[in-house]
Amino acid sequence: MITSQDVHNYLLAIPAAPTVVRQALNFVQEGDLVKAAKSANDDPALRHYLKILVNRPLYGFKNEVTDVAQIFGILGLSATQQTLYNYLLSLLVPKKWSLFALTNGQFYDLQASLSKKWETILTHLGIQDKEILSVVSLIPATIIVCDALFSSHKDEIRQLRSVKNLDFSTILQRLSGKDLFDLAAEIGHLWGMSETTITLIQNSSGLNNTLSGEHKLLAQWIHLLLFYELSQSTYVSAGLNEFIDFQIDFVQEIYESFTTVMIAS
Amino acid sequence: MRAVVKGRIGVFHPQGFLDGNNVPLLLPIDDIKATEALNIDMLLVSLKKVIFFNKNGFDAFVKFLNYIRDQKHIPVGFCDYDHQKFKTIYTFYKNDINFSLFKNEKIAELFVSNNKSDSKTVLVYNPDPSQRSAMAIELFNYGHNPVVCQNQSEFEQKRTASSLYYAIIEDTYLGFFGQKIATRITGNAVIYTVSNFIDAEITDTFNIAYHNNSLNVGFRLFIFDAYKVISMNIHALNFFTKLASSAAEYNATICFVGLTFEKTPESFKNDLEDAGMLFFNSMDEILKNKELLNDLGGCGGGTAKQQRALNKLLINQLQLLIDATVSTITMMTNTSATKTSVNLHTLSVENSHEQIASSIGFYGDLDGLIILVFPKNIAKKACELLIGSQDVSDEDILDSLAEFVNIIGGRTKVLLSEQKMRLDITLPRTYADIDTLLEIAQNKKGVQVNLDFEGQNFIFFLTR
Repeated sequence: MITSQDVHNYLLAIPAAPTVVRQALNFVQEGDLVKAAKSANDDPALRHYLKILVNRPLYGFKNEVTDVAQIFGILGLSATQQTLYNYLLSLLVPKKWSLFALTNGQFYDLQASLSKKWETILTHLGIQDKEILSVVSLIPATIIVCDALFSSHKDEIRQLRSVKNLDFSTILQRLSGKDLFDLAAEIGHLWGMSETTITLIQNSSGLNNTLSGEHKLLAQWIHLLLFYELSQSTYVSAGLNEFIDFQIDFVQEIYESFTTVMIAS
Repeated sequence: MRAVVKGRIGVFHPQGFLDGNNVPLLLPIDDIKATEALNIDMLLVSLKKVIFFNKNGFDAFVKFLNYIRDQKHIPVGFCDYDHQKFKTIYTFYKNDINFSLFKNEKIAELFVSNNKSDSKTVLVYNPDPSQRSAMAIELFNYGHNPVVCQNQSEFEQKRTASSLYYAIIEDTYLGFFGQKIATRITGNAVIYTVSNFIDAEITDTFNIAYHNNSLNVGFRLFIFDAYKVISMNIHALNFFTKLASSAAEYNATICFVGLTFEKTPESFKNDLEDAGMLFFNSMDEILKNKELLNDLGGCGGGTAKQQRALNKLLINQLQLLIDATVSTITMMTNTSATKTSVNLHTLSVENSHEQIASSIGFYGDLDGLIILVFPKNIAKKACELLIGSQDVSDEDILDSLAEFVNIIGGRTKVLLSEQKMRLDITLPRTYADIDTLLEIAQNKKGVQVNLDFEGQNFIFFLTR
């Protein structure tokens, strides 16, 4: 089935971050949104992506927002960085999903919804850190990687899963030594994301029993948020509810608070 | 979402948050049809990974489960929950609970037939006396030894010695049970428990697939424990006569124990005897008489008087069956296995003390038995994807080997269906030592294919 070499080849094929996006991210790091917007404006695909994103109902703007500088201004520094990473990820989205019954529109909705809810959660937790806010951008990479690696092995996976309840991430880990969260983290590394972001992505699999303090808390919230989103009807229909293993014991202690935050949002 | 089948139980594993909106989407038409086609004795929904559910979500699952129960006449329900979830479900449905609840899969497995003959001692408590009795009867009928507590304090006291029990059954509920005739295995005899009036309904309640499985994997003695039978009618007589005829093809014996003819016509006994059925007054008459047991075929397949020969139809599919095995190994290990020799003879195993084995039978348009014999380390390697951890017990390896041959059976079924051949596969059977396997297979002629996997030999043996 999938070998370590297949995984290696897949990672080699991940494109580097485009120059325009890299420049924009650097300006965001320096706190200069004006220059970041100028830079982003040079890329028509990025401009289009930003326009579509912020005009989703989730963002709640009454009038259409089209100007990149205006968009960055509305989003602020942290959310702009997060959005640029979302855009990078969108470059990996397949033309046609094969393993999952998903459309690109649904995938972008998932990205946007995760981003907004993660922002709400961080506000609840009193955390203002743009690296931590950006973590959620890379989580959907697990879905893209899973679809790409397993799409030609659907029958084998169906047979395997008819006798054992194994999720895709575990199967991948046993075959190649790396799970889907490890691969998402490697993509983050390739795109120059911070160590904080990369570590948190790996932790959000919920499988690291040695975590404590803020590392554990953030991993718990992101893990539960992911499953909350993947339990939405659209994603259940797409088959996303069972692609990774939900670590229910890992998130049990924050469940009450999570429910409160989601109801309030 | 598809059910995972382990032994005779199909289990769904939903995750996360379940409500009335998403549960119907977990079960599209294709998946419902696939569930109907499964060869299972129980269907459950595991709540292990469910953090939230509401009544609407639960109702959607209950509706689906009830549909399957009506179609397949099997018990259905939920498993893998904590005390809080059990209380919630009970509150939802307390006046109309028509499904079963098993605290975990291990407990559920005690209430279905399997290929193992070990009787388990289990501690049982339920505040409802009728539930306690129902569980005790079912457990006993499946060959287990239930220790039933009559009150909470007795239960609390007995559970302190938990090591004495295979399982402690609490927070469990049997709803609409006893739809299938209970089956247990003692030694090499399969025992079916029948009771009350036997009529046309027996064609629904008797698990013919399990019976065929047992014939195919080598069981030759079948006993109907009929102490509690009051009478039977002509439909039941026809059913048993047909069963006896099909058993004769395998040289198997079917017996009735404890059946009285006060309310059943005496002529039925003659008809059944003509069909080859034997009658005994007590179970001990058979099970404690080794000579008789041997004569009846209850000491393994080696005693069978006739051997079923390989036929042309089966030989024609040999390459396909080998391909199904080799491709499964390739899929599971990313390493290919190569054929080194093919011979037609009885099973021959060298260094048998270092080997373990598994078998799976198939029947339908084609029937036969595939036996795989592995060196233990190769078996472990072949099952690594299923097992995961490096540090595993022999029992874990055997369990995974059963799953492994199940996949081979599944692939065989798919490959043959492409040639318009319909097959059912039996429960897999595993053998911790080769002597037990040889009891069943030593006199069977078949095709032995030796395969090389990472420099070591393993055996594919095809027989009938």
